[in-house]
Amino acid sequence: MIWLTWRQFRGSALTALIGLTVLAIYFVVLGLSIRSSYQNDLVGCQPAVCDQARRLFLNTYAEQVGLSGALLIAVPALAGVFWGAPLIARELEENTHRLVWNQSVTRTHWLAVKLGLVTLFAVVVTGLFSVLLTWSASRFDQVNGDRFGALLFASRNVAPLGYALFAVLLGAVVGLLLRRTVLAMAVTLAVFAVVQVLMGTVIRSHFMPPVTATVILDQEAMRNIQGMGMNDVRGRIFGYTIPGSWSMSEENDLYKPDGSPFTVADAKTCMGEDDMRAEQDCQAKKKLYFTHSYHPADRYWSFQWIELGIFVGLSLLLAALAFRRIRQSAG
Amino acid sequence: MTSVIHAEGLGKRYGRHPALEDCSIDIPAGRVAGLVGPNGAGKSTLLGLTCGLIAPTSGSIEVLGKRPGSQLPRVGFVAQDAPVYRTLSVADHLRLGARLNRSWDAQLAQNRIRKLGLDPDQKAGRLSGGQRAQLALTIAAAKRAELIILDEPVAALDPLARHTFLLDLSELVAEVDVSVVLSSHLLGDLEQVCDHLIVLVDGRVRLAGDVDDLLAAHHETSLEKLVLDYLMRAEVRS
Repeated sequence: MIWLTWRQFRGSALTALIGLTVLAIYFVVLGLSIRSSYQNDLVGCQPAVCDQARRLFLNTYAEQVGLSGALLIAVPALAGVFWGAPLIARELEENTHRLVWNQSVTRTHWLAVKLGLVTLFAVVVTGLFSVLLTWSASRFDQVNGDRFGALLFASRNVAPLGYALFAVLLGAVVGLLLRRTVLAMAVTLAVFAVVQVLMGTVIRSHFMPPVTATVILDQEAMRNIQGMGMNDVRGRIFGYTIPGSWSMSEENDLYKPDGSPFTVADAKTCMGEDDMRAEQDCQAKKKLYFTHSYHPADRYWSFQWIELGIFVGLSLLLAALAFRRIRQSAG
Repeated sequence: MTSVIHAEGLGKRYGRHPALEDCSIDIPAGRVAGLVGPNGAGKSTLLGLTCGLIAPTSGSIEVLGKRPGSQLPRVGFVAQDAPVYRTLSVADHLRLGARLNRSWDAQLAQNRIRKLGLDPDQKAGRLSGGQRAQLALTIAAAKRAELIILDEPVAALDPLARHTFLLDLSELVAEVDVSVVLSSHLLGDLEQVCDHLIVLVDGRVRLAGDVDDLLAAHHETSLEKLVLDYLMRAEVRS
């Protein structure tokens, strides 16, 4: 049975290995280039130009690293669409299941080998890809400090393994239920995309309750915000993020030390300072504070494992469904 | 004499539509049994039940004394239109048979392929309908099944390929110790090879037995006339 599965799958496997080899070379070259830039331009930079150098470094590689991440997210999707969906659907469509189910191996055995071999292959390919990209982009990610970003989180470390497993099983089950290869491919892609988007935008942030903290708007906090805004009633800050953490609040109301809202009138006392820096210093002296909720940086690995666990769980459910269904299948 | 297929009150419904009703048959071992009836009479349903591809809704059926589908190595099945893997070669199909069947008779398979004049390197997708049927029969035979079931093996073939296939089947049965059940909507196909007959109309068995016994009991000399008689009677009743 292993022979037959391999015989049917070897064309796809070969294509994948060629693709992986080309990408491996690209990632090694990219990784070396990023590392040498990091070493030459950022390590031991003069404080005056460090910020500038960091921005330049990030700008130089943002596109390549970003595209590679997108590609890594596409790999499980491709595996689901091109390996998972036709795995059973094509046999049902071309009636070859009636040939193979009447040899001396049971359907359960047949399904186990097919699913086992193809999911294993998809997981290994995706895993190698993820290891390469994680290594290649490590310095970039370190400087960038946004490991929880939707695209970054999903394209590094162990999370992609879960996607690969899930995508192939999803494809196989959809194919088993719909019995039409092309339709199954389209549905697999759609469902996988929806699950990925929901995971990134809605579900992942609820893995654990966020931490809520009161932050004093001092000089250091000032560096981590994107802007301040005022309306008639109150002032607020935008985009506060502790480097490496995942911010859950886009904007926060500012309060004075006595707990009353910070207003336009309060802000005016600092306006008219000569420059930005002076104005910031002036505001910082007021000891304003705001509440901020976020997932701390040290939760990154917990989140990675939870994400993997969820996809493994979904995959097991799909596999159970497939085995149940194949036993009842009328052929 | 043991029976290869024994069914009592067997029935299969798809929703409210009965595909097979109250079907009781007993096919002894060593026969080439023909299952004849018009399209939609329930032939494929009966064969599907026989190899365990579908489950009955009523009655019982035993194949080689056990539940259908429970003894894959002992039963060979060639589905309608003899499906094969289009992208695999003839030799690959023999390898498939060898890998998936412990009892595989490589010698038998090789001999048949040679005798039939099939090119081992030919992709199965490029075989003619007749060659495909022969390849499928080869796999079922080399598995050394005790019972080979063929669902409409010649329905899609032209008259010459039809004749060649049935001749090859008769030779195989003479050579190897095997029972065969095959279905067709044309009695002419079955007359050539069968020594046992089951006539199925509208999901019910109308006539069943060894050909010689049937002819003797009805004082007929022509099988065709006898079966036609039964088909017409079924028509009148419905």
